[in-house]
Amino acid sequence: MKTIFLVDDSATILLSISGILTKAGYGVEKASNPQEALKKFQAGAKVDLLITDLNMPGMNGIELIREVRKLPNCRFMPILFLTTESEQSKKAEAKAAGASGWIVKPASADELLNTIKLVVR
Amino acid sequence: MDEITSVFVTESREQLEAMEAALLQLEDNPDDADILGAVFRAAHTIKGGAGVIECGFLVAFTHVVESALDKLRNGEITANADLIALLLACSDHMGHLIGVLESGTAAPGGDLQTDGDALLARLQRDWLSADAVGAAAAPAPKAEPVLSSGGGAVETDCWHISLRFGPDVLKNGMDPLSFLRYLTTLGRIERIETLADAMPAAEEMDPEACYLGFEISFSSDADKAAIERVFDFVRDECALYILPPRSRLADYMQLMAALPEDSMRLGEILVRVGALTQAELDEGLRTQSAGTEPDAAGEPHPAAPLGEILVEQHVVQPELVEAAVVKQKQVSDKKAADARLIRIQADKLDRLIDLVGELVIAGASVNLLASRAGQADLTEATSIVSRLVESIRDSALQLRMVQIGETFGRFNRVVRDVSKELGKDIELVITGGETELDKSVVEKIGDPLMHLVRNAIDHGIEPPEVRAARGKPPRGRLALNAFHDSGSIVIEIVDDGGGLNRDKITRKAVERGLIASGQSLSDNEIYGLIFEPGFSTADRVSNLSGRGVGMDVVKRNIQSLRGRVEVSSTEGEGTRFSIRLPLTLAIIDGFLVGAGAASYVIPLDTVVECMELQAVTTERNYLNLRGEVLPFIRLRNLFEIDGERPRRENVVVVRAAGQKAGIVVDQLLGEFQTVIKPLGHLFRNLRGIGGSTILGSGEVALILDVQALAQLAAKGEETSLSHNQTGRNSLAN
Repeated sequence: MKTIFLVDDSATILLSISGILTKAGYGVEKASNPQEALKKFQAGAKVDLLITDLNMPGMNGIELIREVRKLPNCRFMPILFLTTESEQSKKAEAKAAGASGWIVKPASADELLNTIKLVVR
Repeated sequence: MDEITSVFVTESREQLEAMEAALLQLEDNPDDADILGAVFRAAHTIKGGAGVIECGFLVAFTHVVESALDKLRNGEITANADLIALLLACSDHMGHLIGVLESGTAAPGGDLQTDGDALLARLQRDWLSADAVGAAAAPAPKAEPVLSSGGGAVETDCWHISLRFGPDVLKNGMDPLSFLRYLTTLGRIERIETLADAMPAAEEMDPEACYLGFEISFSSDADKAAIERVFDFVRDECALYILPPRSRLADYMQLMAALPEDSMRLGEILVRVGALTQAELDEGLRTQSAGTEPDAAGEPHPAAPLGEILVEQHVVQPELVEAAVVKQKQVSDKKAADARLIRIQADKLDRLIDLVGELVIAGASVNLLASRAGQADLTEATSIVSRLVESIRDSALQLRMVQIGETFGRFNRVVRDVSKELGKDIELVITGGETELDKSVVEKIGDPLMHLVRNAIDHGIEPPEVRAARGKPPRGRLALNAFHDSGSIVIEIVDDGGGLNRDKITRKAVERGLIASGQSLSDNEIYGLIFEPGFSTADRVSNLSGRGVGMDVVKRNIQSLRGRVEVSSTEGEGTRFSIRLPLTLAIIDGFLVGAGAASYVIPLDTVVECMELQAVTTERNYLNLRGEVLPFIRLRNLFEIDGERPRRENVVVVRAAGQKAGIVVDQLLGEFQTVIKPLGHLFRNLRGIGGSTILGSGEVALILDVQALAQLAAKGEETSLSHNQTGRNSLAN
């Protein structure tokens, strides 16, 4: 089973996306803040995809992507970030930090799963 | 309400509180990027969540608020008092909208809708309008280049897609094939040709680089934007050209010129994928080579510079952001500590604490049996168990402890709004916000606190002119303070206003028949009168307080939490209300005593010492405690227990709210973990008893309300003393 790691400070988003992913047969790990996620990856966690929000208190998603990319266990892990139409300018920055792509919120289940299929084999 | 909606409602309320707090901070620091970020993030999270649960009216409203906040964050507009007031009103409105969602109504009612529209209209008119036009114009779609020459349309119903992946696609974790798979969700790939022309000789080839390109003939009803979106993730590192069905031949020619491969070879491929017929290709090539017009060739975008830009981005970006990272690092380290929280439903905790309570009771009966059996090893084992139970009890109660700071924080807004409304300038000072108390207590203390704070603002602190006239700083000061004091939490509300007016209170009390005229009372007794039902010294009824539902309700609410409220005041200098509450409503450490056949529990944290009652020399109920006068009461008298007093009696010296008293009992039975069971409604007005508990033997023991008893002891002494005096006086007359 493919495992997806989900990071978002919004409990609503965590719940809804993990619901969609679980139903689609993915394993889901969750973190409500980037620090917790980073710690798990630093401890050697290996997953098939990381999905992170960008706008979070303390450490933003772009920093998380940049830090995670440096880790040997995450070098080839696809990373998607959650963004909105109003945050277009962040895309380039996040991609430069090492993100593979993005999901525009709010996304339908189909959009979400299709996008995931793009990066998870 | 389904689970996700209820999660959303809880989360949004928290976000709204955070947003409100940040907005209030913004008043003093209008340019602080961290605060602006926090406000924006709160609105953003609410909107995001609302989108997920498809709550359209909330998304629509929050979207506009978010736009204004975005402008604020980007420095396009600056926060002033007007904007902050407006945004606060918006955050209130969002709270109402969440309420609508919570109630399960499909859309906000007419009034609410009107209010919301009015707020949005103000935001639009005053803060968004000028820029809104500019913003809308900015991201206008790029105009597609229109070619003016180049023959007729190509006869095909298919889109033509030319795709050259950038070298880094594989390194970035992308599989070129997955994009083609994704493309098929939009339509059918009729034909496809793979180009490996960019592939260098084996010894120069980088196995991690991607050298592939595709020419695709694609039939689909999707529009161009949708097809482009398929390649979004690799868009800036690959060359992508999409020609709609029936494009002009010239478009194909331009395409061929734009692509890195040789025109002749490309032409063949286009023919092979069915994009062009041989005849069309020939015609196109002829036009192109003969093309004397400089515009016909329309200098294409070469692919190479794209790569260069990308490289550039890779080099520049890390440095650019590094500085910001360092700055945010310190902040994030601190916040990381706060963020490690687990969300648990309060009911689950309550259930756990109930169970721990039952465990404590069951443990007590095991202890009792063990000590009766008189087996040393059994007694030892049970003592270990009871020590562990004690730790579990403490940890379980600790789980439900929350800081009072959050409750205090809400008053920032109240003080701001109310003082503005009354034309007063008041500063709120909060200390001891980290003091913890049981969540069930916190929930219930909000209303009484609110009442006291409003009262202090309305009646306590004077208008600036009056203050200036009295030689005080024009800005009033209201302080909220909390601290722990011998097993209780004390919350103080202190203002530096006019103080309570002794004479006015006395007059009013006489008017109401609460006291007889000419009766002499201590300051404390007079101030205590304001807690009597129906008592209000306010000459006029203002919008905020003085409606008669006053301090007596506050006092009752606090008493129902087993707490006390006291007031002290100096006229002209200010008033201090202190609320004393038990830390928890569930389990306490008790001290078990016996009087007659019954057992009673004294809360252990109020016990100072125990000693034998020496022969009492006077008829009066006080004794000499190392030179100190200690009033006492006998439980036997209090509860009218018949029977012979034992030879040896004991005194438990207790202290409550600064007052010491003795409680005379028959036996001292030792410490006892006490699970508090509330008394029934019938006993609500019973003074001196705080609750009941169940002993290990299954018997019921009453829990003594030490503060009431201490007062009773002191008062009893006072009355008997004054009776004696009046007695003597009358004799003298």
